[in-house]
Amino acid sequence: MIFRVVAWFLLATVFVSSAQAGDPPRVVTADGAITEIVYRLGLESLLVGVDTTSGYPEQTESLPKVGYLRALPFEGVLALKPDLLITSEQAAPEENLDRLARAGVQVEKLPSAWTPKAALERIESVGRLLGSEERAVRLASDLRSKINRIQQASSARGSEPKVLFILAAGNHSVMLAGEGTAAAALLDSIDAVNAVSGIQGYKPANREAILASQPDAIVIAESTSGQFEIRSWPEVERLDAWQNGRRLVADSMMLLGFGPRLPDAMAAVNEVLPAPSNVAANDS
Amino acid sequence: MIRDAAGRLGFAPSLAIVISAAVIVALVSITSGAYPLSVADILSVITSREASDPVASMVLLEVRMPRLLLGFLVGAVLAVSGALLQGLFRNPLADPGLIGVSAGASLAAIAVIVLGNTWLGGWLAMTGEWALPIAAFFGGSCTVLLAWRIANRFGQTSVATLLLAGIAINAVAGAATGLLTFYANDEELRSLTFWTMGSLGHAGWDDLLVGAPFMLLALFVAPWLARPLDAFLLGESVVGHLGYRTDTVKKAAILVVGLGVGAAVAVSGLIGFVGLVVPHLVRQLLGASHRVVLPLSALVGGTLLVAADSLARVVVAPAELPIGLMMALIGGPFFLALLLRTKVI
Repeated sequence: MIFRVVAWFLLATVFVSSAQAGDPPRVVTADGAITEIVYRLGLESLLVGVDTTSGYPEQTESLPKVGYLRALPFEGVLALKPDLLITSEQAAPEENLDRLARAGVQVEKLPSAWTPKAALERIESVGRLLGSEERAVRLASDLRSKINRIQQASSARGSEPKVLFILAAGNHSVMLAGEGTAAAALLDSIDAVNAVSGIQGYKPANREAILASQPDAIVIAESTSGQFEIRSWPEVERLDAWQNGRRLVADSMMLLGFGPRLPDAMAAVNEVLPAPSNVAANDS
Repeated sequence: MIRDAAGRLGFAPSLAIVISAAVIVALVSITSGAYPLSVADILSVITSREASDPVASMVLLEVRMPRLLLGFLVGAVLAVSGALLQGLFRNPLADPGLIGVSAGASLAAIAVIVLGNTWLGGWLAMTGEWALPIAAFFGGSCTVLLAWRIANRFGQTSVATLLLAGIAINAVAGAATGLLTFYANDEELRSLTFWTMGSLGHAGWDDLLVGAPFMLLALFVAPWLARPLDAFLLGESVVGHLGYRTDTVKKAAILVVGLGVGAAVAVSGLIGFVGLVVPHLVRQLLGASHRVVLPLSALVGGTLLVAADSLARVVVAPAELPIGLMMALIGGPFFLALLLRTKVI
């Protein structure tokens, strides 16, 4: 018992003294979108490690990888001696997060963001945690005005175009995005609807369902560039939308991450939608 | 004489070798990990109750110690279960997966992962953070009981029927697991993939508290089955002639495997390979008597799993490899080398 009290006391003093030292905090991020936010805020010098979902920007390659955010190792994270671990509510296992907190690491789980509003709030939260709230608020309002412009254009369209959303994670694993996915949330943000109904989550593509979907546009999210090969999917190629060039093949993290590239994703999808929409999001 | 007529080491010298290997591996396991701890740090934590570095003592006492013990127990139980089943079925390919324990346990665990938010919400509310291990344990034990009930006719347990029932149960449980996988969303899919590769990464004293009683029970009962299982090697009828109650032996063996493996899978996920290969290793080196195979399988299985776990947490540090992966990676080539050297099973 006394041992415990002493240990807690020591732990507390260690933590307090390290916080007072004035050194910049050592930060580990475990979530692709959060890592992207840190880079976008220009605070990447604080990062001492990221998880395996953090693949953008390319500079993340040079950072130590602590594994997948649903299987975070205790010792692995602790070995990087972080002051702060920023992750999403998906992080696991709970035991290891508890232990990290008890070992003096400030563990922050941010709610996942599936609306533009939540995505911008997440940027502000990350900024606040890293002591750069002002910069984050500026970035968020910058992105907000881009998003507003895109949304004005998409709601002016008046109709709700149907989009076939395909997730390609390897040539033989092609999935259709259904309800309750980031893909559906992205479509929702620009007043588009999913061309395939009745699917929950991402499900292996049914070739007949693709033909029957009659989409107005096709969006293909690739986890690696060049992964989706159209010649193995004649039924996609046969769709009018594909023939008319109303198609987008883009990086899945950009499209589905709801990070700082969200306006780019919304603009890119909006651009291939059929109705008259003069969106100019790439004005920077 | 250290070696017997077949050129194998005797029991006592092999026991000494295996125990010293276990001790060395345990020491390596305690001193290795992503978080840098010197031997001096470790000694200071062990000798003085008031640690100079509270984080070091936490890493050591709350993470590496329970992980070491849990890993050893799980490895020992899996290996002993494999040995028991290989003896019972007189089949070198038998492993704890064969009578449906692993399939049942993983079906239950994956059901909790996938349906935890919907149909099984009540179960989750009732069992809290223990929902998954308890479900896995029940799933494993229930499938074993089911297989055993099917194989039990007129008070006699038919080993062949048990084997076939196990295969059928495996197929059904596999299909149900596949169905759940199909309905799983992205996050659930990732959790269950990691679960099926096994991990000791979250191991704590509470896991040990839950799993150890069953695993220790299995380990302590197993040696009593050694002599009757030796009789099984001569054919099932011989067992009765030698004065053992055939059916009691079968029942006990199945129960031991169900309890032990159910608990092991519950706390560590699916870890293959140990149960199949360790008994063979021991038999290769020491002969087929279960009085030797059972205790040495326990020691070798535990040691091998701890060694694999130590490697799993340093090779890709700061990340960790799933232990099942590591196990097959180091055990597979080792076993192949042994096969090439002796060319007999």
